[in-house]
Order: sequence, then structure tokens, then C-alpha cells
Amino acid sequence: MKRILIAEDRPASLELICTVLESVGYEVVGVADGQEALEKASENSIDLFLLDLQMPKLDGFGVVTQLRKQPNFANTPIVALTASAMNGDRERALAAGFSAYITKPVDIRFLRSEIERLTS
Amino acid sequence: MQGKSPNANRGEPPTSAEPQVDLQSYLRFRDLLEAAPNAIFEVEHDGTIVLLNAAAEQMFGYAREELLGQIIEVLVPESLRHRHRENRGDYAEHPVTRPMGIGLELFARRKDGGQFPVEISLSPTRSSRVIAVVRDITDRKQAEAQINAMHRQFTTELEATNQQLEIRNREVERANRLKSEFLASMSHELRTPLHTIIGFADLLAEELKGPLNPNQKRFVAHIQQDSRHLLELINDILDLSKIESGRLELHPEMFRAADAIHETIDGLRPLAVQKQIEVREVLDRDLNISADRVRFKEIFYNLISNAVKFTPEKGQITIECSEGQEGIFFMVADTGIGIEGSEQQAIFDKFYQLGSTTRGVREGTGLGLAITKNLVEMHGGNIWVESTPGKGSRFQFRLPHAPSQASATPVQDGAVNP
Repeated sequence: MKRILIAEDRPASLELICTVLESVGYEVVGVADGQEALEKASENSIDLFLLDLQMPKLDGFGVVTQLRKQPNFANTPIVALTASAMNGDRERALAAGFSAYITKPVDIRFLRSEIERLTS
Repeated sequence: MQGKSPNANRGEPPTSAEPQVDLQSYLRFRDLLEAAPNAIFEVEHDGTIVLLNAAAEQMFGYAREELLGQIIEVLVPESLRHRHRENRGDYAEHPVTRPMGIGLELFARRKDGGQFPVEISLSPTRSSRVIAVVRDITDRKQAEAQINAMHRQFTTELEATNQQLEIRNREVERANRLKSEFLASMSHELRTPLHTIIGFADLLAEELKGPLNPNQKRFVAHIQQDSRHLLELINDILDLSKIESGRLELHPEMFRAADAIHETIDGLRPLAVQKQIEVREVLDRDLNISADRVRFKEIFYNLISNAVKFTPEKGQITIECSEGQEGIFFMVADTGIGIEGSEQQAIFDKFYQLGSTTRGVREGTGLGLAITKNLVEMHGGNIWVESTPGKGSRFQFRLPHAPSQASATPVQDGAVNP
């Protein structure tokens, strides 16, 4: 079973993403900020990260930078999740080390297919 | 040279040999002289004034008798007299006609000591004298000074206005930036809760956590539909503000127009099928265009979804593209409710929605055509509509030729072909 770490500071959104992915058989680890994401990443083996870009303590950019420095996560898919849809955000995220960029509101079917594509 | 007679010097006949002057000629000459508006002097080569007219008396404030026999320098300001004497000497050696308005700014001196600007013409006479015609240019100088002062004033005012404009421009730029930042954050704040509303509604509709009864299903469907409509509105507003603040960037590429149009039609086909609307495509398959592919599809998406929206069941939608001399022409025609003549221009305005005739039609954002028009114009094209109420509407837009085709057109008649 693939394990996915989801970092999202808004509880409703965290529950939504977790439920959407759990419902199709993923094991999910939910955390509420970037610091916690890094801690959980070192304790578990993670197959994919789904990180909200705006989070307290350490944002998604901070997390991806730290993760990419660790050899075991150098090639792990890391997906950015954001409600921002301004010009250049996607480019900035991809340049920072994210593998994919998904905007909120997410289409739950699209989210599942994108996660499946990235973990297979 | 000083002591010799100038006439002897030049080998000319002595004065006594000059032709006799008859009285008639003399009077005519005198009338002419006295009628001249400028001061006229005849001066010996040593500077002695031998003749002057009434204008000279008036201009300089001397009586004629006071000046006759005087040295001409009496009419020159003291500070310039020495220089004038030297110049006069030079002139005597090289006597040439010097017309008015040539040379330096000159000044003359009145009897009362007042100075005034003059223009002087000099002409040598046959008897080695010099005729000087003097024009008082005080008025002209004053006018020039006034013009210069006005010019300086205008320049100063213009500079001040420019400065104010620059300040205002900076303020506008700043306001624009703030507006963009506000929009970015507003958009983010609106989309964040919408994300969970749409997501949970979709989850509920999937019934993975248990079946819904028919009422619950319908309620959830309402939430899904209206939350997506709200999202559409937010996206359109964001798009339009990006366009208006010039922040929407186009990424042009070459592609086959028919392919992109076909993809857009495919996406909307389910809606058309629902209403049993026939969609006809009359597309030139070989037509390549240079445009932002995503935005090009957005233009067609807006036009076709409008056509589907406003066409009754079992109607017909025709989509065409073809190349003309003026560019590439696209058309989306429907057999829908049509648009009144008075509304045909307004439909391209922001938030304009068709009036009472459209009751029962699925609501839109009122921004689609405004965005479409902007997108067409950003591509260098234009859009227009022809419509007959009750019969249907025909939206057409023109895009410029793709660059390669445009540059290929003038190459003719065996011109160099790389």
C-alpha cells in the first residue's frame, strides 16, 4: 500500500484530501504544518508528498527544499497544492523542486488520477 | 589717405562733372526721400552726415540742421563709437551693399541719450559716399522678448505639468499594483473555502460513505452546481482583472486551428447532446494560426457554450474557419433566441447579461464575452456579432495571418527563396 504524507493547515481541507485518497486505498499521514511534515517524513517511508504551499512555521517551499536535500527523497514525487492561481506560481513551484502543481479547488477525480500517475 | 579726396583716389570724374540736376527730378527725389518710413542718411567716407530725411529727424530726435555736418558717430551709443569708427574705415576700403537684417545686433542713440535697437543697410554711392538706411526695431525686439518670455513660461509650466503627470503615473502604477495584489489575495481567500465546499459535495455525491436518498442527492447536486458557478465567476473576474491590468501574458505558438476548435467542441458536446443540438463543423483543416493555444480554445469555449446555452432544443450550431485576405476568419452561428440590435454592442461589456428574453437559460457570469473580446483583441484581431431576434446569432472574429504566412505573401515573382 502506498503511503502519502499530506501537509495542510486547514483541518477541513486536510480531512477532504485524506478522505479522497483513503477512499481509493492509499494510506495517508496528515500533518498541519511544514515542521511536522519533515518530522513525520523522517519516521515513515513516504511514497508521495502533497504539500499546501501556505502553512505556518514552514511553508511548502521550505519543506520541498529540505526534502530534496535528503538522498532518500531526492526522487520522491512531491506535489504542491495551492489556492493561488496567479501567473508564474506554477513555474516557481516547479523550479523549487515540486514534481507537480495542483490548484484548489481540486477536482477530486483529477486529484486521484494525478496521484496514481505519480506513484505508479 | 585721410587728406586725399576719395573721388580723385578712385579716378572718377570730379563732382563738378556730374550731370546737372533739373528741378523736377530733384523734387521727385526729395518727395521719395521724405516719404520713406525708415531713417536715411548719406554719409561721407570720413563720417560726415551730408543728407538725412524726416524719418531720421523723428527717429533720433534731432532737427535736420543739428545733424548736417556732424560725424555719424553722434548717433551711436558712446560705448560703441570707437568700434563703429573702425568698422566704417573697413567699409570704406571694401564698400559692398549690405542688406537689412544681416550682421550684428546694432544699437543707435537718440539726442536725449536713449538707446534703441536698429537694423541698418549700407549701400555705397557712385560718389564714394555711403547711404545708410536705419530701421527702428524696438517694437519687434519687444515682441521677440515677449515671445521669449511666454516661451519660457510655457516651458516652465509644461515642466511642472510633466512632473505632476509623472507623479500621477507613479500613483496609478502603485494603485494598479495594489489592485493586483488585492486580487491575488482575494482570489486565494475565496478559492480556499470553495475548495472544501466543492470537494465535500463531490465526495457526498460519490456516496462512498453511504447512500443518499433522492432528496439528498438533489440537494448535493445543487451545491455542486452553484459552487462551480461561483468558482467560474471568481476565475472570470481574476482573468478579466489580469487582462485589464495588462498582466495576462500570451504564449503564442503555431498550431492547426481546426484541431484546437475540435477539442473545444468535444468538451462541450455532452451539453449539446443533452439539448439534441446538432453541431456542424466547416473547418479548413490546413489552416495554421499563431496564437496562445489555451486562450484560443477559451475564446471558442465561450462562444460555443453561449451558443449551446441560448439555442433551444433540436437547434443547430455551425462552426467555421477560413482564410481571407484580411486574416483568418472564425464563426460560431446558432439558431438560438438571437440578440436585439440595441443589445448587440453591449453584450461585449462586463457583467452584461441578456434581458427578459433569456429567462430560463442557465445563468452565466456576464464576463465571458468581455473576456473573449479582450482575448481576441490581445491577439491583434476583432470580434463582431450579427443577429436576428428569434432566428439566431452569428459571432465572428478575425485573427491576423500567422507570421510565416504573412511574410510569405509578398515574396512573389521569383523573389529570393531561401
